[in-house]
Amino acid sequence: MDANAQTTAAIIEVRGLTKHFPIGAGLKLRQKAAVIRAVDGVDFAIHKGETLGLVGESGCGKSTVARTLMRLEEPTAGEARFHGEDIFSAGDARLKLIRRRIQMVFQDPYASLNPRMRVAQIIAEPWVIHPDALPRSEWAARIAELLQSVGLLPEHAQRYPHEFSGGQRQRIGIARALALNPEMLVCDEPVSALDVSVQAQVVNLLEKIQANSHVACLFIAHDLAVVRHLSHRIAVMYLGRIVEIGPVDRVYRAPRHPYTKALLSAQPRIDFAQNGSERILLKGEVPSPANPPSGCRFRTRCWKAQAICAEQTPPLVADRPQHQVACHFPE
Amino acid sequence: MPNADAPLLEVDDLRIEFRSGREIVRAVNGASFTVRRGETTAVLGESGSGKSVTAAAIMRLLASPPAHITGGRIRFNGADVLGAPMAQWRKRCGRDIGMVFQDALASLNPVFTVGWQIAEPFKAHGVLPAKAALERAVALLGRVGIPEPHARAHDYPHQFSGGMRQRVMIAMAIALDPSLLIADEPTTALDVTVQAQIMDLLLDLQRERHMAMVLITHDLGVVAEVADRVAVMYGGRVVESGLARDVLPRPAHPYTLALLESVPRSDIEQQQLNPIVGSPPNMATLPSGCAFHPRCRRATSECRAARPPTVKVAPGHHAECFYAQQVFDGR
Repeated sequence: MDANAQTTAAIIEVRGLTKHFPIGAGLKLRQKAAVIRAVDGVDFAIHKGETLGLVGESGCGKSTVARTLMRLEEPTAGEARFHGEDIFSAGDARLKLIRRRIQMVFQDPYASLNPRMRVAQIIAEPWVIHPDALPRSEWAARIAELLQSVGLLPEHAQRYPHEFSGGQRQRIGIARALALNPEMLVCDEPVSALDVSVQAQVVNLLEKIQANSHVACLFIAHDLAVVRHLSHRIAVMYLGRIVEIGPVDRVYRAPRHPYTKALLSAQPRIDFAQNGSERILLKGEVPSPANPPSGCRFRTRCWKAQAICAEQTPPLVADRPQHQVACHFPE
Repeated sequence: MPNADAPLLEVDDLRIEFRSGREIVRAVNGASFTVRRGETTAVLGESGSGKSVTAAAIMRLLASPPAHITGGRIRFNGADVLGAPMAQWRKRCGRDIGMVFQDALASLNPVFTVGWQIAEPFKAHGVLPAKAALERAVALLGRVGIPEPHARAHDYPHQFSGGMRQRVMIAMAIALDPSLLIADEPTTALDVTVQAQIMDLLLDLQRERHMAMVLITHDLGVVAEVADRVAVMYGGRVVESGLARDVLPRPAHPYTLALLESVPRSDIEQQQLNPIVGSPPNMATLPSGCAFHPRCRRATSECRAARPPTVKVAPGHHAECFYAQQVFDGR
C-alpha cells in the first residue's frame, strides 16, 4: 500500500486526548473521587485516504478514543483538529456539520440497527438528520446504489434487520455510514462479532470501499491479522497510551516496543513453519487503569524494565522515519 | 482394564435435535470422532456447527426437553455413556472428565469462595475431608498460577480478573486428576496475551498429567499451535478429521480449505482474502445432500442430491466430500 500519505495534509490531528471516568463519585466524596484513566494523552494524525489501525487489548482505551472523537463521550482534555477545526470545542451546530463528514461503523450488528425500521429507513436516516444532503426524490435510487455497493440487493431495502444474518447486517451498517459520503470512517471492531467464514467478506468490502472512495479510516480492532490487512499505519495502545505507531509493514516485521513484540508473538499462527518460533509469555495481566504503574505503564510486565522505567515516562520518539516508539530500551 | 491403545473417547454417529413448538433444530447430524489417551483433539467449527452441543452431550449436560439425542453412541473408556444410569455416570464422569467453559464468570458460583468451590469435588466424591480438601484447593490454585494462593482461596469469583477466573476453572476441572479434559472455547473471551498464558498452562498440565484434551474452538491458529488431531465440524457433522499437521497444510474438504484461505493472517502479507460466500446454514432448514454445497466452489448436482461418502485420502485422514481426493491433490 502506498506510504506517501504523509505528504498530504492531515484530515484529523489528535493531540493530548485524555478521557478520565470518575468512579465512586458520591456527593461528599466528589472532590476526592478516583478516576479510571481510560485514555491518557494520545496523539495521532490521519491523512486523506489513509487507514490508521488502532490495536490493543480490552480496556486499553481504543474504543474510548473512537467514542470521544465522535463526541459520544466528552473528552477530559486534549484537542482533535478536523481540517483545523477542534471537534472537542465545537458547538452543537458545528458538531453536526463535522459529524456529517465523519461516520461510524459499530461492532455489534445486532445492537446498532433499529429493529423497528426497514433497511431503507435505516440507510436514509442520515438524510433525515441532514435534510440538505440529498433531495428526497433521489433517496430511493441512492439507497439501491448503496445496497449494491455493499453487496446487497436493492429489494432488501423493504426488509427488517432481523431478516438478515450478522454479516449482512454489518453491510447495512456500512451502507448507512457511507450514505453521507463521509471523508472519514471510524470503525470500532467491525468484524469481531462475525463468524470466521463471514469476516473475510466484510474485510474485503471495507478494502473495496477504501480503494473506491479514498475515505480515511480509524480502524479499531483487537485482531492483529485483520488490522494488518486493512491499515496503512498502526498504533498500538496499552493502558490508555500509544506505545508504538508506524507503517504497518515495519511494525509487524520489526516491532520496537516490547509490548508490540509480545502482542504479535501471542497471536496464534496457522503457519506450521513458524511454529515454535519464540513466543513471549507476558507475566501477569494488565494493571487497573484506576491506578496505573508510574513511569512506563508496561514496566510491570516487561522483561526489559529497569529503574528508569518506573521513574520516567518514556515519550513517543521518532528516531526512525515515521516509526515512533515510547520505550527507554526500544529494539 | 481396557487396552491402553484403545481410544479413550469415541463419539459415533451422534445425532441431537432440539424441539421447540413445531420447529426441530438438528444441531448434530451424525458426528463421529475419537480421542486417544494423552492427546489433544481440536473440534473446530463456527457458531452453530454443533461443537459445543457435542461436548455437552459427552458430559450429559443437555436438558431434555428441549434436547433429544436421537441416535449414535458415545463410549468413554470402553463404557457406554448415554445408556448408563445418571447417578452412576455422574460419579464416574466427575472423576474422569473435567470441563472448562468459555464464560468463567457464569460457570463459577458467585456466593462461594473459589477455595470452597475447588475443594467441592473432593468432598462430593468422598475423596478427602473438608480441611484436607481446602489445602488441596490452595495447592491447585498455586499450580494454575494464581499468586498468593493461600489468601486468594478466600476470595469470591468477582474479585478475580477474566484470566484468573479461567485459571480457577481449570484448577477445579483438574482437581480429581481426570483422564480427559473438555475445554469449550477456553480462551475466546480473553485477550491475546492472556490467551497465550492460558493455552500454555493447559498444555503444561496436559503433559504433566498425561491427560487427553478435547479442545473446542473456532480459531484455526489455536488448532495449528496446540492440537494433535483435528475434527472439523460443519452443519452438525465432522466433515474432515486427521492429524492437525496433516490436515491444515493439506486439507481434503473444500470447507477446511476455504476457511484456511479466508482467514486474515498476521504473520504474512496477503493479497485480497478469498472469502467463503454466504453464511453458515440454519440448522432448522439444513441444505440437502452435503450441507456445505450452497457455499462450495466445487458443488455439483451430485452434492445437492446425496450426502457424500467419507473418503480416506491418507492414513488417518478422512474427509466427507465427493471430491475429497481432488481437493487433497490440489486439483
